[in-house]
Amino acid sequence: MSIQVQNVTKRFGTFEALNGVNLDIQPGELVALLGPSGSGKTTLLRVIAGLEQPDSGSIHFNGEDTTETRVQEREVGFVFQHYALFRHMTIFENVAFGLRVRPRASRPSEPEITRRVLQLLKLVQLDWLADRYPHQLSGGQRQRIALARALAIEPKVLLLDEPFGALDAKVRKELRRWLRRLHDEINLTSVFVTHDQEEALEVADRVVVVNHGRIEQVGTPEEVYDHPATPFVYQFLGNVNQFEGRVKRGVASIGDKHIVAPEHAEAEDSAATAYVRPHDIDVAKAPSGAAVAARISHALKVGPVVRMELAREDTGNVVEVELPRERFDDLGISAGNVVYLTPRRAKVFIDKAKAP
Amino acid sequence: MAVATQQLNGLTLPATAARKARRPFPWVAVVLVGIALAFLTLFLFVPLAAVFYEALKKGFGVYFEAVREPDAISAIKLTFIAALIAVPLNLVFGIAAAWTIAKFDFRGKSLLVTLIDLPFSVSPVISGLIYVLIFGLQGWFGPWLQEHDLKVIFAVPGIVLATVFVTFPFVARELIPLMQAQGREEEEAAAVLGASGWQTLWYVTLPNVKWGLLYGVILCNARAMGEFGAVSVVSGHIRGLTNTLPLHIEIVYNEYQFAAAFACASLLALLALVTLVAKTIVETKAQREYRK
Repeated sequence: MSIQVQNVTKRFGTFEALNGVNLDIQPGELVALLGPSGSGKTTLLRVIAGLEQPDSGSIHFNGEDTTETRVQEREVGFVFQHYALFRHMTIFENVAFGLRVRPRASRPSEPEITRRVLQLLKLVQLDWLADRYPHQLSGGQRQRIALARALAIEPKVLLLDEPFGALDAKVRKELRRWLRRLHDEINLTSVFVTHDQEEALEVADRVVVVNHGRIEQVGTPEEVYDHPATPFVYQFLGNVNQFEGRVKRGVASIGDKHIVAPEHAEAEDSAATAYVRPHDIDVAKAPSGAAVAARISHALKVGPVVRMELAREDTGNVVEVELPRERFDDLGISAGNVVYLTPRRAKVFIDKAKAP
Repeated sequence: MAVATQQLNGLTLPATAARKARRPFPWVAVVLVGIALAFLTLFLFVPLAAVFYEALKKGFGVYFEAVREPDAISAIKLTFIAALIAVPLNLVFGIAAAWTIAKFDFRGKSLLVTLIDLPFSVSPVISGLIYVLIFGLQGWFGPWLQEHDLKVIFAVPGIVLATVFVTFPFVARELIPLMQAQGREEEEAAAVLGASGWQTLWYVTLPNVKWGLLYGVILCNARAMGEFGAVSVVSGHIRGLTNTLPLHIEIVYNEYQFAAAFACASLLALLALVTLVAKTIVETKAQREYRK
């Protein structure tokens, strides 16, 4: 089942939650909606589910316009952030609910319901909890029951709102690998919302970066991480250093250093910022050409990498650098030393606010 | 906790000393509890005991005679009829109002909440008078009702109307905060799973508020059976026909039949005690449920 979101706008009072959003989701994909809180990602998910009505624009499932279809008839599986399990029902009854409320004509028989519920509980590996109540379960168990309940109605698409948000770090990591495996197994078009970039990059086939009710970039985890389309995406996905400078006819100048930026060939001397990932910076002990001098403030050895925080000698700005442990040991440097930094790779964006 | 405090206070303090140290003014507690108890005794326990004492002063024979005489039986019947109509009506209304207010957003919501509280803020006598003005002989619908030979005021329908009006906030007031606290997620989950509005109400919302609902019904019933002011205005005090139990008690009392009056009053007092016990049971059950 494919999903098309076409030019969807949604306002809450004066707050613009979604602002002309377009998105195509392919059948069988696992897509992450990634963005900071208040970016509109949950609203987009709820609009797809039919829990919110868009002010304008439309939603299509397999090319069919479902914008006016009621949430009851959309056949979507929705997993709520806080699970929303029915607290007075047993786990079994929770999962069976979607089958029991069907009109008599399409309702499965009682043995069939039992068979399917137990099968789903086995799928989420919790069949031994069938007689318990939600409050007797841990957060991770509730999450998996919520998923089993959503799958019980054999939905066309699966939508998950911050599925791991309320769990502790260890359970979260386990569950997201499990979700990835489960998705590969059942191959259901799935969309999940998250504000955790690591989660999005690790689990999703494609990542949709949302900010201020607009989509900033859509792409595979590699694409959005290695080739961010906007400064926001660059900053939101992982740590990044910013170097202020200017761009003139395809060449960016950061201090004395020049970086080729062919995408800005037509720029006539504009203020620009170069974004450099901490692991894309070379460190040398001797000055060379345009390398930037910086003093090491901290060097933190974390497993195979060393994370350094440096202060630039010229501006005093903080620069973060990540080096492989071996390289760091070879250089024989430590906190207090002055070293020379050369960006290996940088992405230059013209500053919109300061543009002429 | 106690152990921790003892250790903090210097390791060797005995338990009682530690406890005293935590409560710097023990006499404050004694005085406050004393005042509360004295107040309760004066205004609650003594009158309650007096009711039963006066009712039984002339022996059980007089007591049962007073409760069994036709006018008393008729008053008891009418009281039950009024409650039997008012409570279910307000149960339905209360659920509808609470569901609307807690689970939907719409214009004029706060106005609706204020209107629900109206019977609490209006004197019961005024509530009664409103119905006299509308349905009475000189009222808006009076002539039309008389033409069609329908009696509302000074008849059973008027008493039921007044009772419904006075008791309608109880269920709604009890449910609104409860439903609001529980949020809308479970209802949304039910909707996504394909449940209709009725199925959601019946299988998801109501089971979640069942103890609050029962609590509201108990309070509503107690008030319906005990209401005096509003009912008094519309009743007309026709013995054996339009007297509820509270009205009957007043009449009998005014005729200096103290033992009979107190005998009937003891029935209402018993109702109050039963209500109190039921309310306590429901409250503990509810607390246990919502703690989950």
